[in-house]
Amino acid sequence: MSSADIEIKKLKKVYYKDKMEIPVLAGLDLSISAGEFVALMGPSGSGKSTLLHLIGGLDTATAGSVRVGESLLETMSEAQLTSWRSRHVGFIFQMYHLVPVLTAAQNVELPLLLFKMKSSERKERVKTALTIVGLGDRMDHRPNQLSGGQEQRVAIARAIVTDPDVILADEPTGDLDAKTSEEILNLLNLLNEEFGKTILMVTHDPKAAAHAKKTVHLEKGQLEREEFSNRQPMAAAR
Amino acid sequence: MTITYVLMQNLKRNPLRSTLTAVAFALPMGIFVAAISMVVALIRISESNQQELRLATHHKTTIINMLPEGHRMKIEGLDPDRKRIRAVCGMRWYGGRVPNSQTVIQSLAADADTFPIVYTDAGMTPADTEAWMKDRTACVVGYGIAEQRKWKVGDRITLDSSVPPYLKLDFNVVKIMRTESRANVMYFRRDYLVESLKSAGVEGGLCNIFWIKCADVPSMRSLQDDIDSSFANSPNETKSEDELAFAAGFIQGMGNLPGLMQAMAIVVVVIIAMVAGNTMMMSFRERSKELAVFKAIGFPSRRIFGIVLGESIFLAMFGAMIGIVPTVILLISFPLRQFGFLPIASLEVSPMAVGLSVAIALLVGVAAGLWPAYQALKLNTVSALRRA
Repeated sequence: MSSADIEIKKLKKVYYKDKMEIPVLAGLDLSISAGEFVALMGPSGSGKSTLLHLIGGLDTATAGSVRVGESLLETMSEAQLTSWRSRHVGFIFQMYHLVPVLTAAQNVELPLLLFKMKSSERKERVKTALTIVGLGDRMDHRPNQLSGGQEQRVAIARAIVTDPDVILADEPTGDLDAKTSEEILNLLNLLNEEFGKTILMVTHDPKAAAHAKKTVHLEKGQLEREEFSNRQPMAAAR
Repeated sequence: MTITYVLMQNLKRNPLRSTLTAVAFALPMGIFVAAISMVVALIRISESNQQELRLATHHKTTIINMLPEGHRMKIEGLDPDRKRIRAVCGMRWYGGRVPNSQTVIQSLAADADTFPIVYTDAGMTPADTEAWMKDRTACVVGYGIAEQRKWKVGDRITLDSSVPPYLKLDFNVVKIMRTESRANVMYFRRDYLVESLKSAGVEGGLCNIFWIKCADVPSMRSLQDDIDSSFANSPNETKSEDELAFAAGFIQGMGNLPGLMQAMAIVVVVIIAMVAGNTMMMSFRERSKELAVFKAIGFPSRRIFGIVLGESIFLAMFGAMIGIVPTVILLISFPLRQFGFLPIASLEVSPMAVGLSVAIALLVGVAAGLWPAYQALKLNTVSALRRA
């Protein structure tokens, strides 16, 4: 089990379209403790996804700094960021993005192909990850044989199979019904509480945000306010 | 699981498209191997014939233009001591067909007395020669034709000529020739044809070609010039060449086959490169979000490049294989004697043709996959994910 804190200072991101400057993040400061579950909310264009991409090293900032654990992302090259991402970050997307021609187990195994690891160890890790997300009995199913919720569970297993420090989820329940969304959010709570993962989740849904310990509201690329949840840990709730 | 496995599974994503692309590779590659092998075989036979020290003399304009049979005596007269010339054999095209068949058998009327000397590769024994000389209707048949028509020594056969005046002639099979170079040809006595033509009121004393069996290579070289010089400025000027040059000219006469092969190879490469390139580009576009996820989970760009390029190369090689392998098996299993006109009974598949096809497939695979692979390499992960 590993976890990392996140420190963001004066973060700026400007996009250019047809020579027009489009500021997305305007000097954002934000701290996220290791093992925290944070929901990122705000209107469209407020910079939520951009922030997620910058923290995940998928994009580079125009100015400012992003530190994840011991890693200062702005000092790293693209190749270094890619390598760092494979070891420290797990991504969960709204549309799951599973490879349709691979089974659930093979989809989960994909990130492990980047590591020098025995096949038996890889299989063990895949089995563990799928068992954690409750799909230990669906390992050989292909995405088209799974429901949306199950597909998202596979995507979560893929995100955690490398035991990353940080899980970044971009509207993970955006394409799911209320009941399935609740199951997915409970799963994220489990990863946060039982496995100590730092989770950053972009969402438009206040009910989803209520699962997080902290909700960060962004507005025009800046921190508008932070809210702390009084949500009971799952173990206590049980 | 390995990256190669992922790559292979990707090709199953759209099986119809992958299959059609592979077939687009397979067909031209198979044809290419067959065509090149045929040309190589023709040249090989011509080269082996070259050892027979035969010189071909025909009309300067074209082999279709006939020469008077008197040319034989004039050629023989160039070497009265028989130091350079062993024998001269005049030949005339008959183009026989089995009644009610459209397949033309490569059949030629040859001077009876000199045929066994000029065509030592026909393998005529003294007994065969005796039978040949004794019977005016005698014919010798290559094993390719004999096997196909189920003819054997002693059979009486009837053929209709495919050229005017379309004579129907009966023949007596006296010999089955067992050499590869004679596998798909039939010879009979020219005096029999001349007599039959005269009976039909047609001029019979004409030949398409004179084959001159030479004593040695220097004799061939000197005779080549001597013969053509002796007929220069006559109404029937000649062109003499050795068997290899004659065969090469004959092949070219069939439509510049080697040149056609080269042109075909280029066209094949360009067309299948475009087909495969289009397929790979479509495949890349459909999967750009998925490839962005690969990048997001930590796959280096060069590895993504390798996956896309690898898919293209695999598809090209797979397509080439499903074209080449059955072609090779077909060519080995089914002799070409059914295409009676070709002087090839069996075809050794040219390793050069196979190697060249594989190289072309590899080249096309790389060419087709390079642009999509480059696009994948430069894929902006964030933009691709946002499009999702």
